[in-house]
Amino acid sequence: MHELPVVLDIIRTMEEETKKRGLKKITEIDLVIGELSSIVDESVQMYFEIAAEGTPCANAKLVFDHRPAMLQCTVCKRKFPHGKDFLCPYCGGDSVLVQGTGREFYIRSYDGGQG
Amino acid sequence: MKVILMKKLLEANDRLAEENRAYFSGRHLLAVNLMGSPGSGKTTLISAVAKELPGIPVGVVEGDIASSIDAEKLEKQGIRSAQINTCGECHLDSHVIRDGAEQIDMRDGIIFIENVGNLICPAEFDLGEATRVLAASVPEGDDKPFKYTPMFSYADAVVLTKCDLKEAVGFDTENFSKGLRAVSKAPVFEVSLKDGAQPLGIAKFAEYLKEKYLALK
Repeated sequence: MHELPVVLDIIRTMEEETKKRGLKKITEIDLVIGELSSIVDESVQMYFEIAAEGTPCANAKLVFDHRPAMLQCTVCKRKFPHGKDFLCPYCGGDSVLVQGTGREFYIRSYDGGQG
Repeated sequence: MKVILMKKLLEANDRLAEENRAYFSGRHLLAVNLMGSPGSGKTTLISAVAKELPGIPVGVVEGDIASSIDAEKLEKQGIRSAQINTCGECHLDSHVIRDGAEQIDMRDGIIFIENVGNLICPAEFDLGEATRVLAASVPEGDDKPFKYTPMFSYADAVVLTKCDLKEAVGFDTENFSKGLRAVSKAPVFEVSLKDGAQPLGIAKFAEYLKEKYLALK
């Protein structure tokens, strides 16, 4: 839901990076977003296209890597990524959230050059 | 050229949250981030639990979009209050908390941060609190833990408020517990703080907070 501050943070970070590394243009930015972080790709993309104009990030491609929360079956104890529901795909048992998972939210990498 | 960065987004909030954490710790304050939907009973809960903790100073930083209704209500009870009006922002973030805390200027005790009424956004913003409490009210329905996973998995403790209404709204406590247990190990404190009636269940929640306060270094 807070895609605009996120986008401004991305652009600010990229501007610092271009200064640090003497780059003129950013062509791609890889984002890792956990499913519990309430961020919607389309909104990020929309705000980014507008806010990036006139910055080194203009026209950069955003790549979204979504990380599901991890669940653990209370019966067979196996761990698996959250899909549709909380039922274990191995034995059908009820499962619980592995605490701390699904909250990733970072810029993994970017690609840039001289233009 | 490709550069691996691994940089957290919205880091500024987290950095300020850590500063807040140090501020609270330095003043022997147990900071409690109290979250919940509008009307879930957050202010009533603070008022009631403060009465159960007579030996411990209690203060509150109130977050609302507008008005000072809550801060005024608590001030009348002798609870030091600072009101923050977010003017449209749907949650409190760490930089406004410090201003509120400095206004109250407490040196010891429990400081409640009553977050903006919202079951979604506050779960994304660390404020530097020691404990996260979610006030979930019975009339909101027993299926909320299934629908609002980020918030229900974020809370360290859940206070189920308005329990006197369970029968009236057909609240299935087992279903609520099932949804919560799937995403959290947080304890649930069932309370009823109906105006004019004997408060029920509040002593256990007060005990929970007192233990945390006494455990402060």
